[in-house]
Amino acid sequence: MGLASTTTGSEGIQFCIFDLKRGQEEGQELDKILFFFPTDLPFSTQLSVIGLSEGLITFTRIFSPEAACEVIEAERHSHVFYQAEPDIWMVMVVEKNKEAEAIWRIGALQQVLKEVHSLFMMFHGSIRALLEKEPGGGLARSHLYFFVMDYLTDFLSGKKLQLPSFRDCLKERGTVQMLTVGREAAIEVQSLVRVVESACAGNAACSSLVLFQDLLVSTTLSPDDTVNLFAYAILRLTPLALSSGSSSWSYLRKGSPASLITTGFIPGNSVSVTEPTYTSRDTSPGRQGQRYHVPRPLQRDKWSKGKDGFLVLETSGAEVGGLNSSTPTVWLRQTDERMYLCVFQQKNLTIILLIPVSSMINGEQGISMVKRQILENASLKILKVDEKLSRGWGGENAYHVRGYRYLLFDGDRNVSRASPPGKVTTLSKDSLLSLNRLREEVDLEKNRARHDDPSHEKDLEVCIRAKNNAWVIARVTRGKELYMVLEKANETLLYASDAVEKFSNRYCNGAFSLD
Amino acid sequence: MLGKASSALSTVALSGCGALSHAYIQHPPLKCGIPGSRGLFYDDGNKLLLSITSDQVFAWKTAVPFALFDAPTPDSIGEGPVLSIRYSLDAKLIGIQRSTLEIEFRNRDNGEAFFYRCKSESESILGFFWTDCPSCDIILVKSSGLDMFAYEPELKALRLVESKRLNVSWYIYTHESRLILLASGMQCKSFTGLQFSSGGIIRLPRFEMAMAKTEANEKPVLAAEDIHIVTMYGRIYCLQVDGIAMLLHLYRFYRDAVVQQGSLPIYSSKIAVSVIDNVLLVHQVDAKVVILYDIFADSWAPISAPLPLLLRGLPRANGSSSRSNAKDTAHVEVNAVSDREGIIYGDGWTFLIPDLICDAAHGALWRIHLDLEAIAASNSEVPSVLEFLQRRRLEASKAKKLCLAITRTIILERKPLPLVARAMDVLVSSYCHSIKTGSTLLGRMVGSETTTTSGIRHVDNSRTGVDGSLTKIARHKKFMRESATASGVEEEPQQSRTQYVENDSLDLASGFTVNRSSISLVSDSEENGGSERMKSSSGEPLEKSQSKSPYFLGAKEGTGAETSGVEVAQTTLQTQMLGPSGNPLNSDVSEQQESQIASPAISPDEMYGSVFAPVEEEMAVDPSYLVAVFVEYFRSAALEKLKVHRNLNVLTIQLLARSERYAELGLFIINKILEPSKEVAFQLLDSGRHNSQTRKLGLDMLRQLSLHHDYVLLLVQDGYYLEALCYARKHKVNTVRPSLFLEASFASNDSQHLAAVLRFFSDFIPDFRNSSDFNTYRRILNEMSSSVAV
Repeated sequence: MGLASTTTGSEGIQFCIFDLKRGQEEGQELDKILFFFPTDLPFSTQLSVIGLSEGLITFTRIFSPEAACEVIEAERHSHVFYQAEPDIWMVMVVEKNKEAEAIWRIGALQQVLKEVHSLFMMFHGSIRALLEKEPGGGLARSHLYFFVMDYLTDFLSGKKLQLPSFRDCLKERGTVQMLTVGREAAIEVQSLVRVVESACAGNAACSSLVLFQDLLVSTTLSPDDTVNLFAYAILRLTPLALSSGSSSWSYLRKGSPASLITTGFIPGNSVSVTEPTYTSRDTSPGRQGQRYHVPRPLQRDKWSKGKDGFLVLETSGAEVGGLNSSTPTVWLRQTDERMYLCVFQQKNLTIILLIPVSSMINGEQGISMVKRQILENASLKILKVDEKLSRGWGGENAYHVRGYRYLLFDGDRNVSRASPPGKVTTLSKDSLLSLNRLREEVDLEKNRARHDDPSHEKDLEVCIRAKNNAWVIARVTRGKELYMVLEKANETLLYASDAVEKFSNRYCNGAFSLD
Repeated sequence: MLGKASSALSTVALSGCGALSHAYIQHPPLKCGIPGSRGLFYDDGNKLLLSITSDQVFAWKTAVPFALFDAPTPDSIGEGPVLSIRYSLDAKLIGIQRSTLEIEFRNRDNGEAFFYRCKSESESILGFFWTDCPSCDIILVKSSGLDMFAYEPELKALRLVESKRLNVSWYIYTHESRLILLASGMQCKSFTGLQFSSGGIIRLPRFEMAMAKTEANEKPVLAAEDIHIVTMYGRIYCLQVDGIAMLLHLYRFYRDAVVQQGSLPIYSSKIAVSVIDNVLLVHQVDAKVVILYDIFADSWAPISAPLPLLLRGLPRANGSSSRSNAKDTAHVEVNAVSDREGIIYGDGWTFLIPDLICDAAHGALWRIHLDLEAIAASNSEVPSVLEFLQRRRLEASKAKKLCLAITRTIILERKPLPLVARAMDVLVSSYCHSIKTGSTLLGRMVGSETTTTSGIRHVDNSRTGVDGSLTKIARHKKFMRESATASGVEEEPQQSRTQYVENDSLDLASGFTVNRSSISLVSDSEENGGSERMKSSSGEPLEKSQSKSPYFLGAKEGTGAETSGVEVAQTTLQTQMLGPSGNPLNSDVSEQQESQIASPAISPDEMYGSVFAPVEEEMAVDPSYLVAVFVEYFRSAALEKLKVHRNLNVLTIQLLARSERYAELGLFIINKILEPSKEVAFQLLDSGRHNSQTRKLGLDMLRQLSLHHDYVLLLVQDGYYLEALCYARKHKVNTVRPSLFLEASFASNDSQHLAAVLRFFSDFIPDFRNSSDFNTYRRILNEMSSSVAV
């Protein structure tokens, strides 16, 4: 299974989304399936994957109704579960293969599932809502299809899907990477933020994100929304994402700008799609041939920079009346409000301004007013901030610490910082495997502690001398986590612990220095 | 506080609507009518108005507020014609020009007199003046040139020091600038300038003034009335009226150059100028209006529309203070007033530089005042109004009040952020400027000898008091401490003098900054001019002490307010001592003290106490806007490396937390926009009651500030007693009671932990085993473990 040399070339990876509420009756099972990858697998195979997953979920719910199954480890496969919405599950099946470096950390894979769902929610709202809007499921399916496929495109490495493996254990998906700025620059940034946000007339509660290159500088959004918009910006909006259309410094974005969709399974880039595969299995009558307009915010190379510095999303969906605006909108999780997504870019700075749709009575016109305001009031400030930040920016290896390969992760703020990818690649495979293993253990321990006493955060400290004589270290202190690998280090434990202490004092304000 | 704010606002509004003028003269004037007066003279060197009778001269001091006028001091001068008359700068001699050939000098103490007579009949004396230039005491201007003399008291004669030969048609001189301009040539437009500064004599290069030709191609002749020397911001200018081009040309004097700076249009054939608090008033006499200019930056735009001078405080109209009523004997008052009303810009008016009007016909001397409220209200461009007000020194406390009111208003009215930002920039940079220039002058001051009067002293005190705890220059703090401990006032003349100069040096430095555009031309005549101007504003007593340093100003301070000095000093001492104990609103103190403020600069304390806190209290402003305003203030302050009031940090946290903008709050803390302090940390802990992330920021800050005791205590409170123990051991915190740890571990119902904690204290605290805590928890532990065993 899965090794068939299909056009998608997704060896050993399956990804499905299904709704437990649907297709309860015999013969209607296909109705459950909202998305399946690879798309060309026969339904019987699809159904067997989903059937197994459903069975396990139902079974484990007996013991743990709140948190059902998270993972099945089979001999050759891992099934990773994520309940995206009540009764809507995402399951990823990955093949284990030591030779092919197919060694996974379940937490990392769950983060992928979580991320794609969060981004989907941000643009399209919940899957359940789409299903309710159109009970046949065609609307949800076509949205999911394009969105998830566009998302997975970024994992394409050649013809192969490259999901985060043990090599990415010094990374944390679903977090934000921040630029460290001095006080003066930070004040300038805040001042800029206020001016930009005040560009929306009236009392509209605008929000904004400011990025410098691929690093976050400021946000006025809630942590969840920040993570989502940051992830989207890294994928599609930052100067790097725009210029290459493919790789950013981020480890994942390598590969060609090829799209899974354009590889031939679904004809062309047509926005309005008739989907023979889905409609044919759509059992409800009258759905045949229905067309859906599907905006594809994750489609590559659709954003471009306009003359005025604002980014434009290319849309060809003029035929559909659903969205008469060329400015895309997103849902904010915190406020459950729909916002216009207005992106300005100048040099290294990307400013994402979110304007409540409800506050813009005259839509596009109001937005161009806001844009004009920003250009008038803030352009000088933007230049100044960019200059200031550029001056203080140490380049892509700015956060490299000699001798250390680390990941620093603040779970409260969803912020992480890690050794630059180029430096991580110098680690030996053994070290990475050990750390991957260690992280897996820490994940388990953290989950256990969270179940025991959610209010009390456990401290944790592990130092391991790996087979290759590297120190592999994990420290967890009150919501903050530090992972590091010290190769070519002295053999004593004291040395390792001193190294952590030094690092903590120097780069973490002593957060990990509790003796 | 609120009442204060709104009342200040309403005054702005009121005067804005009702103002018909931007400058006014205040009733009552100085009455200088003496029976039998044969003429009035103005001695600008001593700021005396002199009235001559047949054998006496009556002198009024004009430097002090008119209300404090005493009766004139009479001096006998003997019979004879008087062409001009001037007191020597030490007020010991009176020089009386009797004819074009003869000057009489009389000693005021004993009435002895001696004469100076021209040696040749071909030259005539055009005039004379006293000088404080080190090499000579008196300058005689003759048609054939200048003679500089030193006065020899023993010989009772003048000794010629130096003379300078040149043809002089006429001359003008102001003591304020120490500058003499000698006109020569056919059109009298060729000028030689000399400055008799206390640093020495500076010769300016010869220069010509531009004059438009008439249509008939006649060559007009420049008259002395067409030329005015004024000093503004410590810079010396010459204003030339060109009646044909209807322009007023401005020339600025540098040590080695005279540069035409620009021209102002005029609307009257007769022009008079005044300078009040560095603001240039161009009186369009025929049109009976005055136009105000603030020649500071390169802006030649008037700061106000042309409006007439206003006569204020007529008894009939609005009732002036009872004291002045009582003082004025009323026999001609009623009639005089109705006369006077019609005589604004009357024929009898003579404008005396800088700010006086002498009405010879009515025997009255008026002083012109600026109506800052009206000026502020007539201009809607807030940042420039603030800049203008920040440059005012004469009515510094009024200017400051206006600035505070305006700033509050723009925030309450939610003006656009860029505007608020510029307003903040103006206020902050003005304040920093006042601080910086103070410290730059300090070095030069040390060592100059002087005596200090308490009058000077209380100026310092009030300023320091207002600055409160935030004055960062260590010297200030030291001074405050010392002055607070001193029981008397007469302490440390050196210190207080330094401070005085510091206050005043603002003006000097404002001159310097503008000079940047023409650095090469900056001269020290400027400084002299500057110091001179300050002297004039603070008043110059008759008894003038010798000064050697050009920067030395202290002893020249007026004595007018001296009587009240001691009291004021004491009240300010009190406010100082109150200050640190957390009363940030001490800017609202008695009128008396406010009148002593030397500069309208607004310190961070006042910014917080008089602007931000009241505005926040009003709750009318949406928190996010207020935070945006704070950010702009932080930005301004950071640019100038100025620390903000620490309560502002706390307030910002409260506002952000109130609107649940915790993510931003986190950024503010992590990027140290809100600088770490104990107050900030505790506010974070408090605001973090509903947001654990924020609470953690507070805890982390405590740790980073090495407030170990508080940190350990809070860890225990949060139930992290084991971590707290580790930390306490590492950082040797032994001020937290063991029982707290024991209680916490007992509360967690974990006998192992309780045992560990017990063991910890038994090991590390001697005698712990004998304490009641030990026994209590030992027993509890035994019970716990036995129950487990069961």
